[in-house]
Amino acid sequence: MTRRLTQALCLTFWILAVSTSLRAQPDTIVIGFGDSYGTVVTTSDGDGDQTLQADGYLPNDNAASRFLSQAALGHGYDEIADVMTMGLEDWIVAEIDRPRGGSLATSVEDYLTFARTETGEPNRNSNITMWYFAWWQYHMQNDDLLRQRVAFVLSQILVISSNSGFSNNGFALADYYDILLDEAFGNYRDLLQRVTYHASMGVYLTYLNNPKTDLSLNRFPDENYARELMQLFTIGTTMLNMDGSEQLDAAGLPIAAYDNNDISELSKVFTGLSWGDRSVFGRNRLRDTSYQAPMQMFNAFHEPGPKTMIDGTIIDNSPTDGDLDITQAIDILFDHPNVPPFIAKLLIQRLVTDNPSPQYIQRVAEVFADDGTGERGNLAAVISAVLLDPVARSCNSGDDVTFGTLREPFIRYMQMQRAFGASTASGNHRNTMSEIYEASGQRPLNSPSVFNFYQQDYQPIGAVEDAGLVSPVFQITDTRSITGYVNALWKWIYNDSPTEPTDLYGGEDNATYADEVSTFAYTGELDLVDDDELHILVDRWNMLLAQGRLSPQSEALIVQAALDYPMDPTDVDDRERRLKIVAYLILSCPEYLINR
Amino acid sequence: MSKKKISRRSFLGQASCAAVGTSAFLNTALNLGAINTLAARPHILQSTGDYKAMVCILLAGGCDTHNVLIPTESSQYSAYATTRGDLALSNTQGQPAEYLDLMTGAVPYTKNGQTFGVHAGMPGLQQMFSEGDAGFIANVGTLIEPIANKVDFESGLRKVPLGLYSHSDQIMQWQTSVPQSRSAVGVGGRLADLLHDMNSIPEISMNISLAGKNRFQAGNQYNEYSISRNATADNIGYDGFSWWQSQRGIQNDIKRGAIDSLAAQSYDNIFQKTYGELGQQTAQSIEVMRAALSNITPLATSFTTTNISTELKKIAELISVRSNLGAQRQVFFVTYGGWDHHDNVLGSQQAMLPILDEALTSFNAAMKEVGVHDKVATFTISDFGRTLTSNGNGSDHAWGGNQIIMGGPFVGGEVHGDYPTLDLTNPLNLHNRGRFIPTTSVDEMYAELALWFGASPNDLDYLLPNLCNFYASSNCTAPPSSGYAPIGLFS
Repeated sequence: MTRRLTQALCLTFWILAVSTSLRAQPDTIVIGFGDSYGTVVTTSDGDGDQTLQADGYLPNDNAASRFLSQAALGHGYDEIADVMTMGLEDWIVAEIDRPRGGSLATSVEDYLTFARTETGEPNRNSNITMWYFAWWQYHMQNDDLLRQRVAFVLSQILVISSNSGFSNNGFALADYYDILLDEAFGNYRDLLQRVTYHASMGVYLTYLNNPKTDLSLNRFPDENYARELMQLFTIGTTMLNMDGSEQLDAAGLPIAAYDNNDISELSKVFTGLSWGDRSVFGRNRLRDTSYQAPMQMFNAFHEPGPKTMIDGTIIDNSPTDGDLDITQAIDILFDHPNVPPFIAKLLIQRLVTDNPSPQYIQRVAEVFADDGTGERGNLAAVISAVLLDPVARSCNSGDDVTFGTLREPFIRYMQMQRAFGASTASGNHRNTMSEIYEASGQRPLNSPSVFNFYQQDYQPIGAVEDAGLVSPVFQITDTRSITGYVNALWKWIYNDSPTEPTDLYGGEDNATYADEVSTFAYTGELDLVDDDELHILVDRWNMLLAQGRLSPQSEALIVQAALDYPMDPTDVDDRERRLKIVAYLILSCPEYLINR
Repeated sequence: MSKKKISRRSFLGQASCAAVGTSAFLNTALNLGAINTLAARPHILQSTGDYKAMVCILLAGGCDTHNVLIPTESSQYSAYATTRGDLALSNTQGQPAEYLDLMTGAVPYTKNGQTFGVHAGMPGLQQMFSEGDAGFIANVGTLIEPIANKVDFESGLRKVPLGLYSHSDQIMQWQTSVPQSRSAVGVGGRLADLLHDMNSIPEISMNISLAGKNRFQAGNQYNEYSISRNATADNIGYDGFSWWQSQRGIQNDIKRGAIDSLAAQSYDNIFQKTYGELGQQTAQSIEVMRAALSNITPLATSFTTTNISTELKKIAELISVRSNLGAQRQVFFVTYGGWDHHDNVLGSQQAMLPILDEALTSFNAAMKEVGVHDKVATFTISDFGRTLTSNGNGSDHAWGGNQIIMGGPFVGGEVHGDYPTLDLTNPLNLHNRGRFIPTTSVDEMYAELALWFGASPNDLDYLLPNLCNFYASSNCTAPPSSGYAPIGLFS
């Protein structure tokens, strides 16, 4: 990976030379309103870009918090301290080198074993709750922060969803998510191969048990995967330039990347696949764990003969070799010139900003096309390029009124967990994540369709549409989800129940998992709710949650709201009430909700 | 909800608040050929309580509607059965019927020698059809301009919808009726741009969604009002502290006040501005909606507990308190998804169509109970029809399909449009998979709905920019390319 030092500082002109403990006592951290924590040195002017061109400069707290809002699924003070001491590039390198945590499928298996033991029913099957618990446990227990964020992004590109034919099976989703975690820093070509052969994708896009053409029955190959593989996973619907802009024909219209004949031809490639643990084509799932075996090719059911790919290449393997057909077809799609800008733009939109400039897309696309060593599709290099790009790092871009993105509701939820130090008595964590799903419609692998929770070209009416721009997450933001989210916050914060742990198998005594129920740890902050210190609390959480983007007016408004609650300083309940007013309001504030 | 600051009403000048005066005018207006003579009609803002509502039911995923409305005349059925192969429904003696004959009262419905059946899972629809409460539009789909046949399609001379056969594009185009672009604005939203002022309480949108954000209801000036199927006066809006929690009053006041203040601040960043406006609209609408919900008296009509039934029930309840919402015009939007049956289309439809049937039947009865059966037009839309040929045991994405219409305003008991012979040699068939070019455009369907709803003929070019490709009218600079006639959805 190329090392490019472009770490920008945001919002303030201070650079931290020394990072002291972020959890220091309040009386030692206060230098002034707005600049906290440690010794500061100043730069000469407000242009962050000009201050960053030498080794040894490190991000300040707000810059580190901002970086983590793009690079992690939530962060706390410790993670900010890590970034501030390591610098962005070293932090990314360390994250890429960090091995992933244990398998989610294994975790489902453990839950299943537990349920079988507890119920005395050795033939009991897994359930969807086990998948949710496995996902949650992984993310609460492991610190592979960047990998977690990238896998979550990939889960919104290479979409499968529990809203489909997996019934109640816990392995289908867990084992699929495992490949996203495995390949987060791998090669996109390898990821496509594993996704294509995964039985969950085969079931979701209906090409498992998809037989060859039979004209006597007017039966043709299922086109579902061929279409979505091109439209959503690799090239998109129109021909793109390297900077993500659409190529236009002589009449000024976009040029279609493929037509339905291309889909029909490609659909022939994805015939003959069935369950990996079956010896016969066309049968139903054999066992609960069948999703863990990659699909296998039954050549007798694979379409024989030549198949014309979108670039005109004719795949013709004789004797019929379905696996080779698939490998060649994916190679051709992977080498299509659309793939670098198409995937680059999707990644930038999900990590940094809804409307990346053509130049930004092109810089990332070029890394996708060639990481500098000749490798195409190196996700580690591509992710680094997205996050270290001058546009992502510069505070000037953050001040551009068209820069940024509405934070995904689920990412807000994760951010709240990590910022407020959610923990349990046992270190094990259970959560169905049902409240955030009810409020927002978002939860891992739970979108309404293969088109994800929102589409990348969604335009909310108002200032965004008037500017001719897009903002995908607004597609799930309306009167109902706005109140839903705020009410969910109310429950998580005011009811002290940030998670929704449940019974694992029907009839489980809730005492058995009482030590897996999360609570927030506000210990340090409870000291900061006295009248003259509330501004410190607001300032501190502004940094932690909103990377300092709350305006002085909003900060003052929130301080005043907390002051309006007449507190008895010796009453812990009263102190908590003030604290919760602040937490609730920051997380509801448009300046927090828009990540820039 | 508040009107947006950036107005695009200039295109309409002062003539935007279109409404119709009399039913006699309506009847005339529905003859689209008569538009010329009506062009000079002044617009009138009427507020005398002539209530009208549309209910748009999106069958998301692309419903295989050739197994909802089935050709049954023997030669037509034979073509259907041959083409569909293992996907064909049958009605063989001694076997359970897989479809039910469409009747007019007690006699079989016939049109140009054709007879039809509905899927056996939809007995309610069969009965509503026979009683004139429901009907169909056959082979309707997204079009920019008429396409006569396969040769015409392949000539390269015809404009073809963007992303034909793709979910994301087709589901959007059914809602926007602008298949040449990826427009953010839908037909219901444009209707609201024109007609919203007919409603007396601006805080609640004319467009109410039981399915969250959708393109159909997105306007240039108005957002949809989104509400949950489980909404009650007690559970909408921002949660507060309960009576038993200490210090509840002051905390509730602080919380609400601060949330509203934060939303109401002025923001430069366009995303913050958009979120802030949505937050303000939400706050303003809550009290109005709460008051309306608290006035609902339970309906006698029973609904099942499925999502689509519960959603249509909520719509029926909201219609029953329309005066509390100041509503003279309303557009409701609801989604019933899961129709993308690449696999197991027969089994899945057998499970899902009865759910739709029960919901439709209950809603029809509820409209009679509320006394607005002649004022509420309900219709389905879906991404696309599906291939007539099988992919093993499912069907793939196609184009033209059949849609259901229901309610007093429609000419019911009728299969509108043309139902083609489902033979693979039919010149409408594309790609040899049984993908049929639509013979009725989505534009034509929406034009008649819009005129019934109260849009002026002069507004049709705003509502439906491609309509001139199908009709001649005073607004059209170029003549239509073929002789399309009104569908006749309304009498």
